[in-house]
Amino acid sequence: MSKGALLFAFNSPKYNYYEMAVATAKRINHFLNIPVTLVTDSESLPEQQLYTFDTVVITDADKTNKRDWGLWYNKGRYRAYQLSPYDETILLDTDYMVNSNKLLKTFELPTDFCCHDTTSYLMYPNAGQEALSANGFNTLWATAVTFKKTKRVEQIFNSLEMIQQNFRHYANIHGFISSTFRNDYGLTLATRMVNGHTMPKEDIIPWNLLHIGNKTTVHKNSNDEFNTEYTVMFDNWTRGKIRKEYITIKDTDFHVMIKENFMELISE
Amino acid sequence: MDTKTLITEAKARFNHNSAKAYLKDKYDSKFIVADQAGLWRANLETINFLNASTDEQVILIDTFNNPVKINRPDLLQKLNDTYKNTMEEWYNEWVELEKKR
Repeated sequence: MSKGALLFAFNSPKYNYYEMAVATAKRINHFLNIPVTLVTDSESLPEQQLYTFDTVVITDADKTNKRDWGLWYNKGRYRAYQLSPYDETILLDTDYMVNSNKLLKTFELPTDFCCHDTTSYLMYPNAGQEALSANGFNTLWATAVTFKKTKRVEQIFNSLEMIQQNFRHYANIHGFISSTFRNDYGLTLATRMVNGHTMPKEDIIPWNLLHIGNKTTVHKNSNDEFNTEYTVMFDNWTRGKIRKEYITIKDTDFHVMIKENFMELISE
Repeated sequence: MDTKTLITEAKARFNHNSAKAYLKDKYDSKFIVADQAGLWRANLETINFLNASTDEQVILIDTFNNPVKINRPDLLQKLNDTYKNTMEEWYNEWVELEKKR
C-alpha cells in the first residue's frame, strides 16, 4: 500500500502558495517520511524549481473564488481523490506547519476517511467550535484529511464536487454565506451526505486541529530548517490597552491562518 | 530579532493558563492508540479494567463505540507503555513551564 501526501498550491496575486508548498513538503518528508505530490498550475510553477516533488500534477486553477483579502484559488479540492497517486493519502493545506510525526497516526485509524471536526486556538483556550450557521452543523475541516481509495471515499469527493458547483443552493439550505467557497463547508456537507446525513465518529481525527488565529503570531526559536520550537505572542486587549502575552510550544503541528506569518516562518 | 529579545522588548508576560491548555491538548492526543482493529485511549479506566481481568480475550467498547474482541495482555501492554511515556513527557514539559515567568 503506497502512502503519501498531496498539496494543492495555486499562486494568487497576493500569496506564493508554491513556496509554501515547498516548505511544507520538506517538513512532510522530514517528519513523516512520506513522498509529496503537488497539484498546481503552470503559472505557479517557477522555471527553476526549488524542490523535487514526488509527482507534480499540472492542472488549471479555478480562479472564480475570492475572500475579503483578495482572490483565493481554493476550488477543485474534490479532485484530490482522482489525482492522488497513493493508496493512502494525507491531503494537507500548504499553510499547515508539520512539526512532528503525529499525522502518521491517521494512517493507523480503522477507517478509510478522516478529518478534524474540532479545533483549538493557541492563546484562546475557551474558543468555541465553528458551525455552518447559527443552528447549523459543526464544521469539518479540510485542512488535514486522510483517505484511502475506496468507493465510499470516492463518493465523498464526488459529492464535494457537486456541492462546489451548487454552492449557493447549499448555502441557502444551510443558512451560510455563499460569496466565498469554503472547502470546509463543502466537506462537511459531502461527508454527511455520504453517511446518510449522520456523522460517524470513525470519520473524525481523534484530536483537535490547532489553529494560530487572530491577534496571535508565531516566531521560530531558531533558524534551523526543521526547527520545532516556537514562541507564540498574543495581543491581549484589556481596558483599551494591549498587554503582550506569550507561550512557548514545541513538537506540535499547527495551522497558520495568517499567511504573512506562515511566510515569515518558512523564510530563512 | 531573536525571540528572547522580542519577549523582553515587548514586555510580554508568560501566560500560564494558555500554556497549560496547550499542553493538555497536545498530550491528550498522544494517549490515543489504534490497535487490534479498534481505537483506544490509554486512560486509567481502561488500563485498570484490563489489569483486573484474567481472561486472555475480552470484548471492549472502543472510542468509536464498537465492540471489539481483543487480546487482553497485548492491549494492556500497549496502553501501559503509551500511558507511562506520555505522562513522563507531559510532566517534564509541565515542570519546564512552571519555571517560566
